[in-house]
Amino acid sequence: MENIRPIVEMRNISKTFGSTRALKGVDFTVMHGEVHALLGRNGAGKSTLVSTMSGLVASDTGTIRIDNTEVVANGLPYAAKIRNDIAHVQQTPQLFNLLTVAENLFLENPLVQKKFGMVSHSLMLSKARALLDKWNMDIRAEALAGELSAGIRQLLEIMKALSRGVPVIILDEPTAALSNAEKKMLFEQVKSLKALGISFIYISHHLDEIFEVADTVTILRDGLVVKEREAVGNLNVELIADLMMGEKTARSVRSDHTRYDAPVLLEAKGVGLYPVTEAGVDFQVRPGEIVALAGPVGGGKEALAMMLSGQLTPYKGKISGANDTLPTIGLVPTDRHASGYVGILGVRENVAIGGLDLLSGTFGFIDRKKEAAHVGTLARQTNVIAASLEQAVSQLSGGNQQKVVFARALCHNPQVVVALSPTRGVDVGAKEQLYALLRDLASKGLGVVVVSDEEDEIAQLANRVVIVFEGKIVAELRGDYTMKDLILRMEGVI
Amino acid sequence: MSSATPTKAAAPTRMQAFGTAFVSGGYTMYPVLLALVIVGAVVAPRFATSTNLINILEQISVLGLTTIGLTFVVLIGRLDLSLEGIVGFAPMFAAVCLVPAAAGGIGIELPSWMGLLIALGVAGVIGFFNGFMVVRVGLNPFISTLGLLVLLRGGVLIVSNGRSIYSPGPALTYLGSAKLFGLPVSVLVFGVVATIVGLVFKYHRYGRALYAIGGNEDAARAAGINVDRVIWSAFVFAALLAGLAGILMTGRLDSAVTTQGQGIIFSAFAAAVIGGVSLGGGRGTMVGLVSGVLLIGVINNLLTLAQVPSFYVQASTGAVIIIAAVLTTIASRRSSGVKTRT
Repeated sequence: MENIRPIVEMRNISKTFGSTRALKGVDFTVMHGEVHALLGRNGAGKSTLVSTMSGLVASDTGTIRIDNTEVVANGLPYAAKIRNDIAHVQQTPQLFNLLTVAENLFLENPLVQKKFGMVSHSLMLSKARALLDKWNMDIRAEALAGELSAGIRQLLEIMKALSRGVPVIILDEPTAALSNAEKKMLFEQVKSLKALGISFIYISHHLDEIFEVADTVTILRDGLVVKEREAVGNLNVELIADLMMGEKTARSVRSDHTRYDAPVLLEAKGVGLYPVTEAGVDFQVRPGEIVALAGPVGGGKEALAMMLSGQLTPYKGKISGANDTLPTIGLVPTDRHASGYVGILGVRENVAIGGLDLLSGTFGFIDRKKEAAHVGTLARQTNVIAASLEQAVSQLSGGNQQKVVFARALCHNPQVVVALSPTRGVDVGAKEQLYALLRDLASKGLGVVVVSDEEDEIAQLANRVVIVFEGKIVAELRGDYTMKDLILRMEGVI
Repeated sequence: MSSATPTKAAAPTRMQAFGTAFVSGGYTMYPVLLALVIVGAVVAPRFATSTNLINILEQISVLGLTTIGLTFVVLIGRLDLSLEGIVGFAPMFAAVCLVPAAAGGIGIELPSWMGLLIALGVAGVIGFFNGFMVVRVGLNPFISTLGLLVLLRGGVLIVSNGRSIYSPGPALTYLGSAKLFGLPVSVLVFGVVATIVGLVFKYHRYGRALYAIGGNEDAARAAGINVDRVIWSAFVFAALLAGLAGILMTGRLDSAVTTQGQGIIFSAFAAAVIGGVSLGGGRGTMVGLVSGVLLIGVINNLLTLAQVPSFYVQASTGAVIIIAAVLTTIASRRSSGVKTRT
């Protein structure tokens, strides 16, 4: 019986990004016709592992066999070889916004191709309609993909993968943007395809989904397998959380400088987030406090932070400070490449644009002495390492770029710092320095708001954790919360 | 400066540092310019006379002001084709408001001293409209300013009834025709504007905002810069400078000509690119920009003096633009390791 032979066999997979070893010799096996859940905390290596499986990221070592195709990995791209054996649905839909639903569904699909690479439009449309009918989806095949809601787009991405007729499908956080009804639809399709012998690798942060849809579970931690192919019936939430967290007791170094007697620095009253809710959100920051905003992607924590920092105007509710004057706010944006630094300018200019009015004197001309002194102080405070303050920021390492962004945020002598994903893509050393910086700022009486997806980061920094989910504040942790409390709430279990 | 940092990454050698400063300062084209001047002095005896050199400066002052205006919007990664239309339209509109109907005016015969104000006012309004279209309506500046360019070309013919206006009055022609200290006033105007704007680009908070927006608009926004206001005002400054350039041109000719300014936007782009202004935004200096303007002026002058047929003058200017753009791009890539689009 061929079903005894696994459909996916990965042996000794390892992958290094810069100085980070994301995978350290992982073995991974998937059988025919099963839904195999891959669990682990952020940064455990889940997405990297499935990316090496689909060839999106080339593994450095090991062998990968999917169905009858075998690849010996050596760091070179191999995605083309296994293209017909596996489909990978990524966290964010990779659709072409200006193409129609039908065109997106059947892009590069041999089913609709004729001679000389011509595509039959009518065939494509009829096939797309049939597919949409099968999924009970009430959208036109001619609609542009860019016009659709996030949930529908995610479903289309999944349909596209399923319609390619491959034996193995990776679903990486497929439900992040889906409504409950859409989730049900997806699970039904997954179950019916499973009955046809298709195998799924399923990644999700929502453990309840795992119990609903998965057959077996593999758990990763720090790039290693800590539980291999356990039947889902033998596990429970507590057990999974323990395995994901590991033995190491993350020694908390956070310290509390909150000045409870001082007036509130920055306050949100009835502020409406996305998704839209009736009540709106109330939120306060006090001097010396480090508050973390956590919760699933798209739940509203980023929107709240952008509104607090004045980058986004709330459609309802009000942001205010003490005595109705807004405090000065320094912002560290979530993606430093897109909106953090100006790559072609030097360190000095990048830092100085954060406080141009502070540094300029007569007629708005920059006071060069003041600038040099102020930027120099900030560069020392944030530990920027550069050949000189004139070096272009695009030439610096990721950690130093992020420090420059911090220095810029501090240039205006802010009373509140709002930092989104403050250490994303930053090496361990720089990470510690940035944590120390944030603690130092809090000890000086600044209010600090951190938006983060990393439990470790939050546990090391935050005196208070606010979980934002579906546009509401659903939970709050204060003072001596444990790592377990934190993880379970962030995963949406409690 | 490096004392501010605890550890040094690989420090560049002195020579490299000089090269980087030379290129980023905008001096790349000056050796080329010097060589051209030497060659010119040897080949054409009339070239190196003070009359001819002043003549060159006078000729480039119009192009120079337009290029400075263009650089405002190019630094923020936008462009403004309508500047060419403003060079023609602003002085023409002022002229028809001043002269009597018999001389081609529209018959309101405003006092002559208002000429300069009207011309600059019209230019400013056009710039404001451009800013509105880009910032508020969200049009791509290429298409919105292209449309306006064509519209203004037609507008010139409408307000002037297709005829040039002669002697539009001293207020309008003074800057372009008078002399002070033996130098044409237009050259002085160009010199003063270049100096002030050069200082603003380099040392003023507004200039810093321009570079930041051109380099990364979202980062500038996150840093607290009022991006929309800066973009809007850049279009206004560009239009004002183009209006001033048009006034100089009208002064030199002592008439507002219907074809005034045609083709100048291409020379302005060429001068900016030759001078190291990146069309991608965020890069470019006044020193470099001036070198680009001078280079175009000197080449045109030399070819004319050498009695090269005018068809060849145009073709060779084009060739020079391409060669200079290649040189600038290679130089800036070599010196900084950062890729730029020119």
